[in-house]
Amino acid sequence: MKIWGMVLGGFPRSRYARYALRDRERGVIPFKDDVEAIDRASVQVIGAQLAAGLPVVVDGMIDWHDIFRPFVDAWRNVTVDGLLRYFDNNFFYRIPVFTGEPDPREYVTPRRVLRFKEVADPATLKVVLPGPVSFAFMAKNNSGLSNEELAEKIAYILRDEAKKAIEAGASLVQVDEPFLADIDATRDHARLAAELVNKIVEGIEDKAIVSVYFNVPEPSVFEELLNTKARYMMVDVVDAPGRAEKLIRGTGFGSHTPVIGAIDARRIIDDKPSFVEKFLKMVDAGVDEVVVTTSTWLDLIPFRYALRKVYVLGRIVEELAEKNGYEAYTIWR
Amino acid sequence: MAGYEVPRKFPTTVVGSYPKIPPAMELIKKRRSGELSEEEFRKLIKGPISEAVKDQIEAGIDIISDGEQSREDMVVYFAERVQGYRPGDWVRIFDNVYFRKPIIVGELKWTREMIVEDWVYATSISMGRPVKGIITGPYTMMEWSFDLKYGDRRELIIELAKIIRREIDELVARGARYIQVDEPALSTRPWREEAELLKEALDVIFKGLDAKRIVHICYGRLEKIIPYILDYPVDQFDLELKNSNFRLLPYLKEYGYDKELGYGVVDVHSLQIETVEEIKGYIDMLMKMDFIGPEKVYVDPDCGLKRLPRSVAKAKMRNLAEAAKLAREEW
Repeated sequence: MKIWGMVLGGFPRSRYARYALRDRERGVIPFKDDVEAIDRASVQVIGAQLAAGLPVVVDGMIDWHDIFRPFVDAWRNVTVDGLLRYFDNNFFYRIPVFTGEPDPREYVTPRRVLRFKEVADPATLKVVLPGPVSFAFMAKNNSGLSNEELAEKIAYILRDEAKKAIEAGASLVQVDEPFLADIDATRDHARLAAELVNKIVEGIEDKAIVSVYFNVPEPSVFEELLNTKARYMMVDVVDAPGRAEKLIRGTGFGSHTPVIGAIDARRIIDDKPSFVEKFLKMVDAGVDEVVVTTSTWLDLIPFRYALRKVYVLGRIVEELAEKNGYEAYTIWR
Repeated sequence: MAGYEVPRKFPTTVVGSYPKIPPAMELIKKRRSGELSEEEFRKLIKGPISEAVKDQIEAGIDIISDGEQSREDMVVYFAERVQGYRPGDWVRIFDNVYFRKPIIVGELKWTREMIVEDWVYATSISMGRPVKGIITGPYTMMEWSFDLKYGDRRELIIELAKIIRREIDELVARGARYIQVDEPALSTRPWREEAELLKEALDVIFKGLDAKRIVHICYGRLEKIIPYILDYPVDQFDLELKNSNFRLLPYLKEYGYDKELGYGVVDVHSLQIETVEEIKGYIDMLMKMDFIGPEKVYVDPDCGLKRLPRSVAKAKMRNLAEAAKLAREEW
């Protein structure tokens, strides 16, 4: 069985990136200076992932205020309102407000791929998109469309986004649907999400990941989501390990390659290989590939601990591959 | 409390925090940077506390607070004073705004009083009104800190509960009659196992305590968590209701709620000042649901007032007190 590691999503900001963004908001420095600071931090986090041997890396999305914001900024007929708690985190996102049918002025991810793909070499870049169901159902919808219709419109834009990112050189496209792990998520939400993800990843199914995190989805929700054609399916097993185990043993991953979110992205303590191994053992019979990842994005912990988590992830993948006779897929092999 | 009689029906109160009154923030920064000693800080912070107390009294609040003028943040303040914590690195709260999420690196231990002095001072100038002793709860302290020491959430929350109990014992020994434990983090994880974890900790905090025992919970999925907390060892739940359009009330009725209720009737996230008529209407709405009597209803804001301009905070309190007075005549 082939095993490899990747970071699920964005990174926290380095001190310099933080200061640069603050200074630009205050008008103290020009736009290009803050871009330079963000680029430096991005190169730093890509470097950390390369040093850990990860074959697929993210640019860190250092400048994203939340998962929705860059898309809100890039689309017409959507703006932002007040703050709302982002699931169970002591972190708040600005609520997107749709006032009409979203219409892209520009695409968010392709230019990032072009900017960082050479830095990432010999690894390849993954881009991350907000899932259309999470986007629509976590927004204020004043568009005149139903939430379902709005989610579908969003999905069509994200389909073009994904296609252009792959054309720019991304190796993977990840669609995040954390809303599906929420206590209010239903089978209908998951059915819609699966249907819309299939539209987004049409033609690139083999390069697509769906991720669900912050909690373990209900089995009925997860069963519906398994109808997506994306090759990879990610589940957070850290937040509630008991329920995660039950889900994996009961429902499994269907025909999808399991992506196990076993590196705790919300705590700073070093992860134990035995915890990751326990979940690998649950899925290693009958699959020829498994991915180990962080339980969510790394942006909820301080910068230096995020870098440490990347190191721990790389080390655990290597260690467990050697111990269990798996084939470790890293940039060195 | 000598000199002031808390109304039997619809007493008014606050959740705790009040807008920082100059120079409170400056003093907090100077204490952190070492420019002021803790003793100097305590002396100087009395100015802002007295202003916060004065505003509450002028507004007509019956059970007041010290305005939490000493506290920059509800977690960091305590983490800076409990042994076993060290200052954390910056973690983002929203946009490019951060807080220093504290880190537990050693065995946690109560070493000194944390909120007693402010409470004693506020009580000395409250003109007989009771002052709530308010402390951040163990679940919120645990969830909003990083843990590098314990690794076991149950063990950690019980240790935090013991420290909080120790502080509360100090308050009660000085005469505190109202003790409030703030648990905003609980409603973000509305699972039975989380609620049970906090119950164990509250047993440590409140067992045998000779004072009114209050837990404040706000925002998030309150309706999901309510069924799991009804048997908590408390006299009162203080709840945010206005911001969530009072959607919780039918659930409280359905679950046979029989404790006292801290009834949040003004939105602390809105600059719009609720009128007396509006607030009176919210009280009437509760009474007409006929599951709780006026003696068990404490009228207050949804949460701490700290994010509002002082003039707005005071106006909201004044209208709240006026509405409660009208309600007393009717119910």
